[in-house]
Amino acid sequence: MENRKYSDKKRYLWAAIIAAIIFFLIIKGSYFVSYLEFQRVASLQDPISYEIFGDKLEYSLFGKDICTEETYQKISGDLGYQGQLIGQLEKRFGVNDPKVIFRKKFYTLVQLEHFEFIKLINKECNKSINSILFFYSNKEADLDNSEQLGKILEPIYHRNKDNLVLYSLDINLDSDIMKSLKEKYHIGNEPLVMLNEEHKFTQINNVNEIEQYLR
Amino acid sequence: MSLMSTVIYISIYIGLFTISFYVLSMIAAKKKIVPEYKFEELPKTSILIAMFNEEKTIKKTIESALNLKYPKGKLELIIIDDGSKDKSLSIAKKFEGIRKGIRVRVLHQENTGKGGALNAGLKIATGEIIVSMDADTYVEKNSLSAMNRFFKKPEVMCVTPSMIPYKPKGAIQRLQHAEYLLGIFLRSAFASVNAEHIAPGAFSSYRKSFFDKYGGYEEGNITEDLEVTFRIQYNGYEIENCPEALVYTVAPTKFKEILIQRRRWYSGLIHNTIKYRQMFSRKYGDLGTFVLPIAWISIFFSVFFLFYMVIKGVLSIISEISFLMSINFYFGGYLQFNKYLLERIFFTYLADPVILFFLLFVGMMFFYARYATKRIGKTGNFSLSLFVFLILYPILFGFWWVMTLVYSLFNKKVVWR
Repeated sequence: MENRKYSDKKRYLWAAIIAAIIFFLIIKGSYFVSYLEFQRVASLQDPISYEIFGDKLEYSLFGKDICTEETYQKISGDLGYQGQLIGQLEKRFGVNDPKVIFRKKFYTLVQLEHFEFIKLINKECNKSINSILFFYSNKEADLDNSEQLGKILEPIYHRNKDNLVLYSLDINLDSDIMKSLKEKYHIGNEPLVMLNEEHKFTQINNVNEIEQYLR
Repeated sequence: MSLMSTVIYISIYIGLFTISFYVLSMIAAKKKIVPEYKFEELPKTSILIAMFNEEKTIKKTIESALNLKYPKGKLELIIIDDGSKDKSLSIAKKFEGIRKGIRVRVLHQENTGKGGALNAGLKIATGEIIVSMDADTYVEKNSLSAMNRFFKKPEVMCVTPSMIPYKPKGAIQRLQHAEYLLGIFLRSAFASVNAEHIAPGAFSSYRKSFFDKYGGYEEGNITEDLEVTFRIQYNGYEIENCPEALVYTVAPTKFKEILIQRRRWYSGLIHNTIKYRQMFSRKYGDLGTFVLPIAWISIFFSVFFLFYMVIKGVLSIISEISFLMSINFYFGGYLQFNKYLLERIFFTYLADPVILFFLLFVGMMFFYARYATKRIGKTGNFSLSLFVFLILYPILFGFWWVMTLVYSLFNKKVVWR
């Protein structure tokens, strides 16, 4: 039998080029969607920080009533959703991406501002809203533990959402405020859950372990 | 990037490359001028129908063969009963003689297997062209004449039709409906680079001189049709495809039936690939260096992903159970819908390249199926079939291969019926 001729060797080259173009277009397309997501986080962060900042000022300068349900809803609305989006951005762009780090730092500030405001509401309005500070870590060695803690905190939050606020903070975030926070609460570099600034948990095996301390 | 992600992206790129190559080849093949017989020039043809316990379908099969539009006096029908235990033989005997101008002969022999039955038919066939037809296959009137026109080119030793299941119902047949439609596209793509390597034994035409020169069907081979196809390619001849020639097969309806069928097909593919392994070389052009290796690479990836999914699935079930225990089986959190649900779905899925690639491949499959229905002129409800296919096929394809490999490793015997 004679050797068979190839249909057209150039066709292989063209197929490789077309495949590469489609491949990179789709990768780019997914990055474009991620970029939209990034923009969305930015668009959510600005108004919420503005609301918290505005209400706190109005309270300290003019003695505005901060005990209404409306105030609480206004300053808390998109907080959890922002956290979810930032988590996705970390996966998409990587934890070391400067854009993500910047948004995370901003989100950390917004959360801590919210945390302080909730403490103020508790004090001034005689309320007992619980707060959980979840210090997670994206480091390889701590990833499983962080995910495990985060996963169990989610149902705890949903079961008690009327009376509980959950803040997620990257323990390895390179910012002064995070360093101060760690010093204040005597926290190391391992993932940790802190309830109402009192109870610390490095591992949670059942939701009851946390819920028994809720006010 | 993890090892798994790397494997996923490599397989995606190979998939894109393969699709691009076949689409380019099909565009190029459209410009190719192929010599064709006119209707009255069509060569004399013998249709061989091997049957074994086919009392439910044989009557309709014979009738469909007798209704074929073909030049007068140039068609004969040879029915070989391979030791049926039911009424198949008596039903076939009723057609013996001259029917609608076609000579019908019925042979009976002890059970030898399909290859042996077809060889018995070959011995008495007088046609220049041989058609092997399954006893549960129905054919459109114009299919045979459309196929046999390609035999004008002396190098063409086989012509394949378009196969689809007969009146598909239920999930298993719907799945096959979509699979056969995609097969129509693939067969055209393979033919465009002269690399068709699977001619359906249910209804394919062969030049009898090939059997005279290289021997008849291999007896004992569980996929004797595949063996002949490989042999044709191995000896350097051509196989043409005629997408317009529509043939219906009665597809399995039950999970166990299709598993047995696939185990036979895949075992046969392994056996015949080993037998003709020399074809994996540059000497065989596109077939040896691209089409056959890619076919095996896609099988490898399917089995690999199935294993991965099963292991991952089992691990996540264990982890999920332990998690549900830790939250006292509280499901409220999963039922929380907020105003951002659609937005979250959009960001979660469309920002993931693998999902975008998956959607692209789904789009391509839709295009393949559309191409097939356009060529055969029958649309049917292929969207539903495609939906069933997308859900079930990725898992079943890997599962069938795993079962086949297990059977092959433990030397379990696989038979044609």
